[in-house]
Amino acid sequence: MKLISRLIVGATLAAGGAFLLHPLQASESIRIASLRTPAEPIAAHRADEVVVQFRNQVEDRDVSRVTRESGADRVRRGRSRGRYLMHLDAGFTVAEALDRLRARPEVEYAEPNAIFRASQVRRVTANDTFFNAQWHLEMVDAPRTWAIQSGDPSVVVAVLDTGIAYEDFGPYRKAPDFGTTVFVQGFDFINNDTHANDDNFHGTHVASVIAESTNNAIGGAGLAFGTALMPVKVLDAEGVGDTFSIAEGIDFAAENQAVKVINMSLGGGGNSSSIANAVTRAVGRGVTVVAAAGNDGEGTVSFPASLANVIAVGAIDGRKQKTPYSNFGSALDVVAPGGDIRRDDTGPGQRPDGRPDGILQQTFDPDTAAERGRYDDFAYFFVVGTSQACPHVAALAALLYRQGITDPSAIQASIQSTAEDLGPAGRDNTFGHGLLRPSVALTGLGLNR
Amino acid sequence: MKMPAISSACRPVALISLAAVLCAPAARAGEASLTLDGGWHDLTNAANSAKAVFDGVSGGPTGGVALQYGLGESFFVRAGARYFQRNGERVFVAAPGSPVFDLGHSLKVRIIPAYGLIGFRFLQGGSFRPYIGIGGGVTSYNEESDVAGEIFTSTATKPSGQGVIGLDYGRGTVRFGGEVGYSLVPDVIGFGGVSNVYGEDDIGGLTAVVRLSFVR
Repeated sequence: MKLISRLIVGATLAAGGAFLLHPLQASESIRIASLRTPAEPIAAHRADEVVVQFRNQVEDRDVSRVTRESGADRVRRGRSRGRYLMHLDAGFTVAEALDRLRARPEVEYAEPNAIFRASQVRRVTANDTFFNAQWHLEMVDAPRTWAIQSGDPSVVVAVLDTGIAYEDFGPYRKAPDFGTTVFVQGFDFINNDTHANDDNFHGTHVASVIAESTNNAIGGAGLAFGTALMPVKVLDAEGVGDTFSIAEGIDFAAENQAVKVINMSLGGGGNSSSIANAVTRAVGRGVTVVAAAGNDGEGTVSFPASLANVIAVGAIDGRKQKTPYSNFGSALDVVAPGGDIRRDDTGPGQRPDGRPDGILQQTFDPDTAAERGRYDDFAYFFVVGTSQACPHVAALAALLYRQGITDPSAIQASIQSTAEDLGPAGRDNTFGHGLLRPSVALTGLGLNR
Repeated sequence: MKMPAISSACRPVALISLAAVLCAPAARAGEASLTLDGGWHDLTNAANSAKAVFDGVSGGPTGGVALQYGLGESFFVRAGARYFQRNGERVFVAAPGSPVFDLGHSLKVRIIPAYGLIGFRFLQGGSFRPYIGIGGGVTSYNEESDVAGEIFTSTATKPSGQGVIGLDYGRGTVRFGGEVGYSLVPDVIGFGGVSNVYGEDDIGGLTAVVRLSFVR
């Protein structure tokens, strides 16, 4: 179904500009997508792969010998020095390989190639798209934020996800509301090529929160719509990735000097030294790393959001209440709108407007993609999850870098110190430091005010 | 007009000034002079905060005018005012000792102290006459910054105290001099902004000026 929508983003509040809304012109319908659940349990790690980190002085012939003696059928070199992905011979288990590797003095550490999933719970589709339906942008005062700054292509956000619908290539199509969005060269670590196209839907939706083309008379808006995006595909068509791919993706993104923010709307898989080290390297290069807290509804933030040098983002609904699915705990830094499709609280005057309270952005229909292999059935979808909360913070990090805060720890401190305190006074495990407030963070501090 | 309350820090200064005036020797027909001065005011007592918003500099140019009247050969009283203004920009700093990041939003600070003081001049009859003085008054503070059309302001008027040491030269109608002073102006800032981060609330500090006096 072809969509036609017209939208004009409001002028600055300070200038007293009116917030104009034009109604949708074309016919519209609301489709409720079915809830898809996995057919069988997802394994914690790949059954025939191990990630191994050799010490710096080990030579290639020693790597070959050690991996062969530890059960390797073939070995793939990683982007970071000394990191390899071992594919095991049929006669070896992961446990046996790890035992042998960890006994070798040449090996710094070895770990299973754990599996990570996109942090998205469920989705509801809608064909009508207005900026005023993007309650999540209103909640973080996007119009005021844009009056200060809306991003610049010199600052790149790397989206480590299922890819992005950023180009016309083979069966893939560029999403219609990326017309003015700037993309830089990314990489597909699932298929090992330079076309990080989205074959799931998740990455496109996440990327749209950050930089969906705005003020172009179609679709929705992105919080940092002037920012450039780098698609880095580390999750497959099912939204599943692994330790090696994610660590590779982080290193790839951080090696590009223009990348200042990494968004990871993914989690699970357990702690990983490879990923932790890659994050540390990225932060050392001045990159702010933001990750989703996870959707298990548990009191422990998922990895890698749980890392101290990563901004962990939880989700709230349209009432600024914690969503039932959002993880929480001592590692939680801030919350952002993630939505709750069971609720309808975000119409005018906080009354129901007939639309579920999901995060509304563009992407393609996942059912069409999965069942027919078509990635061009674009629409505007309400999706909920800490996956959707996370890119709000990544967008703010990009805006802050452009504004002048060029250190990741300072960006994190700015976001935390200017957040709207929710729940008990001060930081708490449910809301962290509170709800991000981009316009306040970008305003900064005067001498006494 | 409601007079500002005298803070506890300024009460000793005010009492000493009053005592000095009451105890001064009976005046003969004394010298009256109009003085113009100009120099540098440093926000010494809020140096970290000032350096943060003023790009590493804690002060700026200042200028003023005063009327002085001699009480006999040695004592004098003075009333005057100065004007200080400096432009800077809004910043972000996470904590004391952390790097300061400029955010590009313009900011302007204006400080206007109005004061009275009593002083004592040494070396009667000489061309060079060093002196000391002590006094108090009120100081007006105004801060204004513009962030994409939204104006943020902070204003306050607080009691202040100061002490000065200086040297005048000349015996004719026009005299020159130099003076260094130190002022206390507490409870003006520290309620928000970088001054809240650094825990600094006093906009006083060291002032150094050159003086040109017209004596009658």
